[in-house]
Amino acid sequence: MMEKAKQHLLFESGNELAAFAAKQINYHVMGYYPITPSTQIAEYLDEMRVRGEHDIALVPAEGEHSAAGICYGAATGGGRVFNATSANGLLYALEQLPVQSGTRMPMVLNLACRTVSGPLSIKGDHSDLMYTLNTGWLIFFATTPQEVYDLNITALRIAEQVRLPAIVAFDGFFTSHQKQNAQVFTDDRAVRDFVGEPTGNGVLDVEHPITVGSYMNEPDLLNNKYQLHLAMEKAREVIPAVFAEYRALSSRTLSPITTCLAEDADLLLVVLGSAYHTARSAAMKLREQGKRVGVVTLGVLRPFPADELAEACKNAHTVIVADRQDSYGAGGGNLSLELRAALQAAGASTRVLSRVFGLGGRDFFERDALALFAECERQDAPKLDYLGKQAGDTDFHPPAYFAPIREQDASGLTLCREEGGGLTVKGATVRETLARPKRLAPGHGACPGCGIPVNVNLLLRGIEGNVVLLFQTGCGMVVTTAYPSTAFKVPYVHNLFQNGAATLAGLVTLYHQKRARGELPEGDITFVMVSGDGGMDIGMGSALATALRGDRLILFEYDNGGYMNTGYQLSYSTPMGAKSATSHLGEHGFGKRFFHKDMPRIMAATGMPYVATAAESNPNDFIKKAAKAQYYAKNGGTAYLKCLSACPLNWGDVPSTERRVIAAAVDSCYFPLYEVERGITTLNYDPEQSGKKRPVTDFLGMMGRTRHLTGEGYGEVARAIQDEVDRRFRRLQLLSAHPEL
Amino acid sequence: MSKGQARSNRGHGATSVLPAINEDQCYEMRLESIGGLGANLCGKLLGEIGAYRLGLNAAAFSSYGSEKRGSPVKAFVRFCASDREILCNSPVERPHLLALFHHALARTMPVTAGLGKESTAVINTASSPRAARKELSLAASTVYTVDALALARESKSRVNVVMLGAIVRACGFIPLDAAKKQLTDTLGKKYPTMLEANLLGLTLGFERTSFEHFPPDNAPHEMPFEAPTVRWGYENAPIGGINPHFGNSVRNDLSPSRQGVIPLFLPEKCIHCGLCDSTCPDMVFQFTEGEYRGKPAMLNRGLDYLHCKGCLRCVDVCPTEALVRGEEREHGELHHFVYNKDLLVTDIDFTPAGADPTVTGEAYLDEKREDGGWV
Repeated sequence: MMEKAKQHLLFESGNELAAFAAKQINYHVMGYYPITPSTQIAEYLDEMRVRGEHDIALVPAEGEHSAAGICYGAATGGGRVFNATSANGLLYALEQLPVQSGTRMPMVLNLACRTVSGPLSIKGDHSDLMYTLNTGWLIFFATTPQEVYDLNITALRIAEQVRLPAIVAFDGFFTSHQKQNAQVFTDDRAVRDFVGEPTGNGVLDVEHPITVGSYMNEPDLLNNKYQLHLAMEKAREVIPAVFAEYRALSSRTLSPITTCLAEDADLLLVVLGSAYHTARSAAMKLREQGKRVGVVTLGVLRPFPADELAEACKNAHTVIVADRQDSYGAGGGNLSLELRAALQAAGASTRVLSRVFGLGGRDFFERDALALFAECERQDAPKLDYLGKQAGDTDFHPPAYFAPIREQDASGLTLCREEGGGLTVKGATVRETLARPKRLAPGHGACPGCGIPVNVNLLLRGIEGNVVLLFQTGCGMVVTTAYPSTAFKVPYVHNLFQNGAATLAGLVTLYHQKRARGELPEGDITFVMVSGDGGMDIGMGSALATALRGDRLILFEYDNGGYMNTGYQLSYSTPMGAKSATSHLGEHGFGKRFFHKDMPRIMAATGMPYVATAAESNPNDFIKKAAKAQYYAKNGGTAYLKCLSACPLNWGDVPSTERRVIAAAVDSCYFPLYEVERGITTLNYDPEQSGKKRPVTDFLGMMGRTRHLTGEGYGEVARAIQDEVDRRFRRLQLLSAHPEL
Repeated sequence: MSKGQARSNRGHGATSVLPAINEDQCYEMRLESIGGLGANLCGKLLGEIGAYRLGLNAAAFSSYGSEKRGSPVKAFVRFCASDREILCNSPVERPHLLALFHHALARTMPVTAGLGKESTAVINTASSPRAARKELSLAASTVYTVDALALARESKSRVNVVMLGAIVRACGFIPLDAAKKQLTDTLGKKYPTMLEANLLGLTLGFERTSFEHFPPDNAPHEMPFEAPTVRWGYENAPIGGINPHFGNSVRNDLSPSRQGVIPLFLPEKCIHCGLCDSTCPDMVFQFTEGEYRGKPAMLNRGLDYLHCKGCLRCVDVCPTEALVRGEEREHGELHHFVYNKDLLVTDIDFTPAGADPTVTGEAYLDEKREDGGWV
């Protein structure tokens, strides 16, 4: 039996405690991709990394699918592997989950539960978690930050013992972000002793070559899955044993099932997560009034503790299941369904009522629990209902604020024409396009001085006629369409940011279909996808494929050099050396470790007819390029336009001066203005020739995120950036000078 | 407070430390603020003081959302005795202590909701407690006021540490020394150069807060805490979250997100070049057809201040100084205000909103605040 280990108090959130446990375990590798509300886990680990507190290799993937791939790859080499995600991040990675479990590679994935899009919402419910029930992963559920810590330690031990990966789930925001008292082991050694040394080198053991990932037909596959089933069954024994050992070490009790006042209860509420404690509070009050009510929660969902749950519920006359998601059409959420199955297997005929609650992070107050108990006492209570639903005000008829923008309203200012083997553009200056109706309405929630609306407006200034917009997930989308508001005066679609280009390609294809079949009225439409640089990381494949196919649309990228919508983590376009929430400064870190991505060059390699960069500091050039992009999207194929977009909040500079910051990026050649038109590169502005060239540190020194690069100790990084910028610019000069290049 | 004292508090059941508790055995605080004033960090510090210094069970959290959405920030703190559990994870509705970091908030938002007669209010204002109580119709019988902005400037610290000092004083159960120790622990290692200023800010907040008790019998009515209701529900909202009301964000009034400065328009200097319009993120400038120097041209008719967030990008780019920076409070009457020219209606029930560049994570926020802005 283990002896109790020394512990001390930490007042931290679930995310911080998950990161702290990971640091104590000292995993080999964490592959991750930021998504609210789980992002902080990687952020805290990066902070600890630069302080030298752990040796975990933190790998920022370009999307959750790749993050899961990084984790899987590391696991095949016998690595201890860690990850954290939420909502659509989990779903994007979902394909990899059965791979991980089916090939029996243990790891730990933290899931800060959040509602699955769409409509997109960042707050918590269990609609993400329930997709994992059939993946063959062990699933634990923590109801407090303390349990997040405890389960992170025990889950790894259990996972390695039965050779299955494990999810530690907890409520997004309620548990992930709420700071509470927690006890942690003072000496990391205690944790490492508990989980034991990692064993095996998997495919890294070249003396004992193994094949991971066989191609398998029947009957082998069935046997393989039976093995997985047996591992889950074995976990039923391993879990209590590990929990018991952990209790001896920590004095804290973990259990697959936890009850409160349930023994003699007539009315039982079964609920997962943080709401369990609110429900307990309500039950205790009702007990004081003599009502026999109780509450049950589960700490383990896989393997499902069906017998224990049925045992706890079978004597109640009514069991209410509060589901924080719905398995639409099945008569309740998955917890309801599994509970009903458990009761049936136990031969109990208890009445079970399902109540879907708390979707999208809707708060669950004690009074909600009291009302729920009161309602479900009634014999005529419906079997399934949604708590807190609102019918709305049917007399509500908001006025039309604007008239729709007609094609002729937005036409006749700018003209592109083929002339002398080239394209000439007339009427594309700021002054000449002042009469263009704004397709964006005011009242959006962007930060003061934000570059996104500025750049979107400049783009649309150059575009004639009807426009349909698609925004990929990001700040631009969140600030414009907070329901029930929308800042769009023209048709608009959002899709998740690994898929915007494909979505718009589908819409454009339909448009041409309908036009050819005479199903649309006269007129023309230009299609524009708007994405941040984050969307061009995770969605690069989709954008490249669209360009390769030549779908007739504009891809517009506003590059603010970071994942700003999730609180500024590094993107592949973040300047090297920049500090961010996942590239801290410290003894062991100088900010982001690799160069900013040269996305226009990547796009140009597709052979698309038009690639250009634009900057608000050169607004006439910007509008002209927008007009050209429209021309090529109408007459050639896909056009790609990229601009540098200011983010006062995360760049750490003054909102009013953003145009000067952008100008410094252009003049320092960090962000050169050029276009690749039908394969011919033209440098539109050469600061060297006009005598305006500035060192790149002029630009970097204007932003709080990179100012340190101008100071002592960062000379090497600053020089490396300067060299890379110079190299890229020199290549552009050469390309521009030689039409055959 | 020494460790020994903290332990003795625990030993006696720490309820003795807390001046009041609700039916859930908790003492609750709510901090109402706008992004950037550091209410979130202040709430975290209060929680840490409770947990680490007073031996209490504590919880601290904030109203999280996507950080740029319009809503102001709330931070919540709960304490209970160490032998009790905090069971509620939801926002504080009826606070024992309410701190208002930005008192203008009360003009447009129901920030004082749930404040009862037995509650204490701490208001960041230069006014007296009596004046603040009257102005804000506070039901609270104890009102503290502190000019946190002035004291933050004086101490070269931030509003949140000054407010922390005032809250520590007002709640009555946190020794100043415990707050100083926690501030030193939490901020000292990360920002050693700012520690002295922060400690001074804390002390000034503690010392230079004024208070007054008021008899509860003539208190203004309590403003009940009401859950928001929606106009569009399952019976009338278009399915799929589809929004047919294009451009209806125009009904948001974004003036609350301004930080005291606005662009002032001097039309006689304007050359109608449109650069202001090209740099404005908020579609504030209203250009319509007209004549300039004998030729037809689009003319700048004025600014739609309802949607101006006061970023002053336009002032920075204007080549003729036709747009200049002005203090908003000196210009109560906004000359050259024009409604958005494309609006079909102007009798709009504008909804106060604002960009809210704050809270989702905390790891990075403190750093970037320290950076401030240089150009």
